[in-house]
Amino acid sequence: MIEFKDAAVVAPDSGVPILEPTSLTLTERHISIIGANGGGKSTLVRMINGLVPPASGSVEVEGLDVAKQGPRVRRMVGFLFTDPSAQLIMPTAIEDVMLSLRRTIDKKDERAEAALAALEEIGLGDRADVSVNALSGGQRQLLALAGVLAVTPRILVADEPTTLLDLRWRAHVGSLLRSLPVQLIEVTHDLDSAVRAERTIVIDEGSVAFDGSPVEAVAYYRDLMFGRVKRRQAT
Amino acid sequence: MISMLGLYRPRHTPLHHAPAWLKVLMLVAMAIVTVVASDPVTSVGLMCASVLLLISTEPPAKATAWAMLGTVLIAALSASLHLWRGDWARAIDVAADLIGIVALALAVTCSTSMAAMLDFVSTLARPIRFILPPETLGLMFALMLRALPEVARLYLESRMAARARGLERSVRAVVFPTTTRSVGFALQLGQALHARGIAEEARGSRKADKAEARGESRAARKATKRRRGKGAPAVADHELTKAEAFAVLGGGPSSAAAAGSSAGPSAARAGATATASPTAPELEDRPATRDDSPTQR
Repeated sequence: MIEFKDAAVVAPDSGVPILEPTSLTLTERHISIIGANGGGKSTLVRMINGLVPPASGSVEVEGLDVAKQGPRVRRMVGFLFTDPSAQLIMPTAIEDVMLSLRRTIDKKDERAEAALAALEEIGLGDRADVSVNALSGGQRQLLALAGVLAVTPRILVADEPTTLLDLRWRAHVGSLLRSLPVQLIEVTHDLDSAVRAERTIVIDEGSVAFDGSPVEAVAYYRDLMFGRVKRRQAT
Repeated sequence: MISMLGLYRPRHTPLHHAPAWLKVLMLVAMAIVTVVASDPVTSVGLMCASVLLLISTEPPAKATAWAMLGTVLIAALSASLHLWRGDWARAIDVAADLIGIVALALAVTCSTSMAAMLDFVSTLARPIRFILPPETLGLMFALMLRALPEVARLYLESRMAARARGLERSVRAVVFPTTTRSVGFALQLGQALHARGIAEEARGSRKADKAEARGESRAARKATKRRRGKGAPAVADHELTKAEAFAVLGGGPSSAAAAGSSAGPSAARAGATATASPTAPELEDRPATRDDSPTQR
């Protein structure tokens, strides 16, 4: 369970609010978060594993305060970024997954075996020794996912994981994410993917604009955005 | 340089099986010998040995050929300078030394995985572990290598963008975006490292992880005690039970719909609290493990 308790974020220099005090309890297995660019979606989900600290209020994951017990929370929460290139550190696919496993598996051979198994599970077994620079965008995202899943997180936060992917990879990565046995918090601009969640939260201008059924949330979001466009065109 | 970073291929050659420390030691020894010995026969002999070693690692042909071609060109230039001065022995010596060292360095690169090299760097850094943790040093090394192709990519993209805007002669139009995007990449990489929990853990914490992973409850308890002493809570205090795990993961669509109906657009503006109570769990009766991950190809 993830719990936001009046968590707010302000810009460190200017003090401008980025996210208004927000209280949410996230218990569903798949939650999608949608909203306009710059609305505060990424800020909200980055608070889940302490990448962005709340200026006021708190965030708890499984009863652990993220601000106080960040490392323990991060072991439970996997994070998938929009651009996988920034998430991949080692030169080859297997070495990158092995890096994730350094914390838990001491022996190199066992680590390599576990890493290969993780890659095979995700469908990249045959690309294990390939340079990460030689992988396609979709394969890189899968590799980033393999690196996250190798350490068996309970919660997976995916910040626009399919934005940079073509339609084929978008469908593949999307269905793979939905089938994982973890709680999935997905920030997305893909409304087709958003409606497949169990709950959808619309974030707009730094606050929760809608929270509820995905179909209603997407309809609300469309009205909000198209209404804004029409108003701009009218002026 | 950048193409060299992906040269390693897993093979079953003698050099692949040799430990990283031995290969690095060999490289250092070779460098010292080439500096000390100025005999062309020795240099040519060492060069031949190095090239043979490189061939024995079955390196990727194209990238290796390009690297060697560049080296041979530089060696030829250096040699021609000495020949112009009439010192043919020195010319052969310098050219052979250069080609030999690069060939051996390539042989080491082709036969040593980054993980093995990181382990070696970590071992090497053990004496200064109180100042700089060996793992951090190894990670720094990996990040440096990782950043090189990325910065090169950013540079090429910036150059193309400048060209597209008709600013191909403007240094600023290339340097500024390359610099700012490199900083952006570094920040993203830092966040990713943070999110993956790499290099942020104290040694005691790491030991506890391993103990927990192996199911060695005694060791885990000891490590937990140590952490407790430092103010962190016990592991067991927050470990979810099976039932709790299902409660966490099992919220069904019905609960979401119920929550949705209660928190409509009108209610939500003020940052409304939306708490969905978990209903019928949809997961099967066991905790989530990696074995549960689907195999999709």
